Amino acid sequence: MKSAALPTVFIIDDDKGMRQAIEDLVESVGLRAETFASGEEFLSRRHISGPSCLVLDVRLPQMSGLDFQRRLTETGTQIPIIFITAHGDVPMSVRALKSGAVEFLTKPFRDQDLLDAIQQALQHDRAAQEQQAEIHDLRERYHTLTAREREVMALVVSGMLNKQIASEIGASEATVKIHRGNAMRKMQAASVVDLVRMADKLKLPPGK
Amino acid sequence: MANEDVQRTLEELSRNLQESTAWLEEAQRVAHLGYWVWDLETNHLIWSDETYRIFGLTPQEGLIDLDKVREMIHPDDRDAVFRTAGEAVRSGARADCEHRLFRPNGEMRIVHSLGDLKKDSSGRPYQMFGTTQDITDRKRAEEALQRMSGSFQESNARLEEAQRIAHVGHWDWNLETGSLAWSDETYRIYGMAPQERPIDIAMLREMIHPEDRESMFRKAEESLLSGGPADAEHRIVRPNGEVRTVHSRADARRDASGRPYEMFGTVQDVTEGKRAEQALRRSQFYLSEGERLAHVGSWASTNLGINWGDDLGLYWSDELYRIFGLDPKNGAPGLEQCLAYVHPQDRAFIAEKVKAMHEEHCICDVTHRIVRPDGEMRYIRVVSNPVVEQGAFKGYIGTTIDVTEQELLTRELRRERAYLAEAQSLAHIGSWATNFDTGQIFHLSDEVFRLHGFDPAQGPIPLERFYDTLHLEDKQAVVAALEGAVRARKDYDISDFRIRRSDGTIRFLRTIGHHNRSGEIGEYVGITMDVTERKRAEEERERLRQLEADLAHINRVNMMGELAAALAHEIRQPIAASITSANACLRWLARDPPDLERARAAAARIEQDGNRAADVINRLRSFYKKGTPPEPGIVDLKDIIREMTALLRKEAVRHSIKIHSELDEDMPNVLADRVQLQQVFMNLMLNAIEAMKDTGGKLTISSRRTPESQIMVSIEDTGVGLPAENTERIFDAFHTTKPQGTGMGLAITRSIVEAHGGRVWATANSGAGATFHFTLPAKGGVRA
Repeated sequence: MKSAALPTVFIIDDDKGMRQAIEDLVESVGLRAETFASGEEFLSRRHISGPSCLVLDVRLPQMSGLDFQRRLTETGTQIPIIFITAHGDVPMSVRALKSGAVEFLTKPFRDQDLLDAIQQALQHDRAAQEQQAEIHDLRERYHTLTAREREVMALVVSGMLNKQIASEIGASEATVKIHRGNAMRKMQAASVVDLVRMADKLKLPPGK
Repeated sequence: MANEDVQRTLEELSRNLQESTAWLEEAQRVAHLGYWVWDLETNHLIWSDETYRIFGLTPQEGLIDLDKVREMIHPDDRDAVFRTAGEAVRSGARADCEHRLFRPNGEMRIVHSLGDLKKDSSGRPYQMFGTTQDITDRKRAEEALQRMSGSFQESNARLEEAQRIAHVGHWDWNLETGSLAWSDETYRIYGMAPQERPIDIAMLREMIHPEDRESMFRKAEESLLSGGPADAEHRIVRPNGEVRTVHSRADARRDASGRPYEMFGTVQDVTEGKRAEQALRRSQFYLSEGERLAHVGSWASTNLGINWGDDLGLYWSDELYRIFGLDPKNGAPGLEQCLAYVHPQDRAFIAEKVKAMHEEHCICDVTHRIVRPDGEMRYIRVVSNPVVEQGAFKGYIGTTIDVTEQELLTRELRRERAYLAEAQSLAHIGSWATNFDTGQIFHLSDEVFRLHGFDPAQGPIPLERFYDTLHLEDKQAVVAALEGAVRARKDYDISDFRIRRSDGTIRFLRTIGHHNRSGEIGEYVGITMDVTERKRAEEERERLRQLEADLAHINRVNMMGELAAALAHEIRQPIAASITSANACLRWLARDPPDLERARAAAARIEQDGNRAADVINRLRSFYKKGTPPEPGIVDLKDIIREMTALLRKEAVRHSIKIHSELDEDMPNVLADRVQLQQVFMNLMLNAIEAMKDTGGKLTISSRRTPESQIMVSIEDTGVGLPAENTERIFDAFHTTKPQGTGMGLAITRSIVEAHGGRVWATANSGAGATFHFTLPAKGGVRA
């Protein structure tokens, strides 16, 4: 958990009145809020850090909310989205939710529904960020491994014994042991089970 | 004594006799008079000496007898002489005759002979005594005198005649006596009858024109002093007051000492000559000036020449040289040279003409071109007549007129007329000039005939026939307007009235008449034009405008369904905002301690949003006007496409867009609501124009039948094309790519097409732009 930044709620709505109302509501519960009139404005201004979520109006000029959502996914920006719309229909909300929206609220909405959705989204984002940070950490550790050590690690994770590994890579059992020890140490794995979990998180391909 | 006395007396007598005889002889000789004695008994002749001499003989040379005498008398006089002699013997009267004779040397003499008869006591004649006198010299002198006197009189008469004819008179002024002598003609010149009364210097002075009087007498004095002749032209005033111009010449006669004693001279009436001279000079001037001004040259030929190189004996006036651009110093050109100056394109024709003139002596009147030495082209007209004297051809005289300006003007005029006629025909405007009072037509262009459905070739048409073509419904109004204007002598402009041509077609005309104040009373000039196309275009424009208005209305009505949703969104937005703000406000108040500042701000926003909602509702009112339920009918899509093309043409042109249609001519009709289909076309075509408005391009409307016997219409543009993603979403309501778009156009289009059982979709073009397609079920068998 490197980041302890204050959670932020980003609000994108072309209607200024709506934008200010939501901002005020969010702030009344002690959260930080930032408002944008369009998706483009958000993309050009915002560098996300810390747990955050997006309150997004479906109908926006130029790029609609749904298009914007797809755009974020494509660029690998993961941020929980709460859709709000004044003209919601079922197919639209289904599509939005399928695409990973946290909530789909129809204006006017109950304030508690929005705040709950925001809390849930922030929670979700915080978890995701933590996971993101752990994976980032693991990846850095993994990068310190030599090619031989990575090869041995993959075979270990696949459940092979030292003897089998030695025959697989054409090395002595003693050498395998040294590589295995190095990998465990560099990855800071407490046990083989721990190492398997790490490999899983790193989505490493299983060795033969 | 007595005897002595007698003897003495006899002697004295004898002496006296001898003396007398000598004197007689002498007298005869001096007077060329001889005597003779003719013895009638013996026929003997006794001649005196002088008689011998007269006959050219030596005195007493030989005996003379009658035969000899007869021989010597001129043969023409011979009989007359003897007849006279015989007569005298018979009658006893004196013989008297003049006759000619020939001397032996052949010389002819004229003699006068007298003869007296001597009778005896019984009264019987026995002797004739006579004289013969040579009168040749006297006769000749007489004849000469007579001749001289005759010729003098004749020449005097001739002089008088000549003076009269030449109006020349003469005069003498005796300086010593001061008397003045005038010839008959001088009297006439001065306006008097010949020798009417004596003239003196004082009278003459009076008759000279006062202005010339002094100078004239001064000249006379100078002449007398200097000795030279005087010469003056001056005016005289005749007794009847007539003024004449005369030319007087004078000189003086002087005696041995050089003192002048007489002045003489001539006076000539030069009034006519003066006038004639002036007139001639003037007419020559006028002629040459006239030729120069009129560019008319004149010429004469004595012979047209058989050989082309011949010198034609041509006379050319100065102007003719100028017309040909030649120098008169070089003389008139020959025929061949003349032909060389003829324009090449006219040369053969002119050569033919000249040949015909030569052979047939025909009159010539041709206009052709010449090329001057300096290269300038001129048009000339040559008119000439053959000169025939007593049946013999003598040559040609002619004029050559430079008609370049006229010819060019004529051609220009002809061209202008052709252009005007063409322009009138193209613009369907005819021109005319007429007198409405008299019904007289001065000018009617062909187009007027055509406008009224008449053939211009059929000739003049009375005004009534034009009135007859007026449409029955318009006739009364048109005639009333026309007659009213003509009565008031005012200009008129009668527009948009109908005529019915003989073939039944109805045309709209406009006629403008202008009262020609400078012409006759009732004279009008004007134009008549066909305004049918304009009229129809106006009607069509009006129809399209109405259609557009209807469509706009229908568009609004049809949008109502979608609008309900749109409005829900519009109102929901401020309401949602105000509810959220209210929630926030409550939360600020619920804090411990309550944040009143934030709560107040939230309450202010609630107010704003509430007002916003109210505004939306106010705007909503304007959408409700009238509603028309759909009316399905048989519709020809081609008609609608044509209408929409016309309607949007202006908008398209504004953005440099061409509208083009490729329609299946056999396209079946559809059963549809015409207005709704118009709306579909308008939405799709407007979208296409919108897509190309910055670039220009081409809008193509095509139609065809699908295998499923549906009609497919495609509207293709070369514009910005479809959005890269969610192509299917463009038909959704509120989905718009345009900053000002409602996102409703395609949604409405889809709902209409689908309501008619069709389908609408869009495809990207292989090149630029997009194509929107829609299908409609065809109504089999129903055709336009």
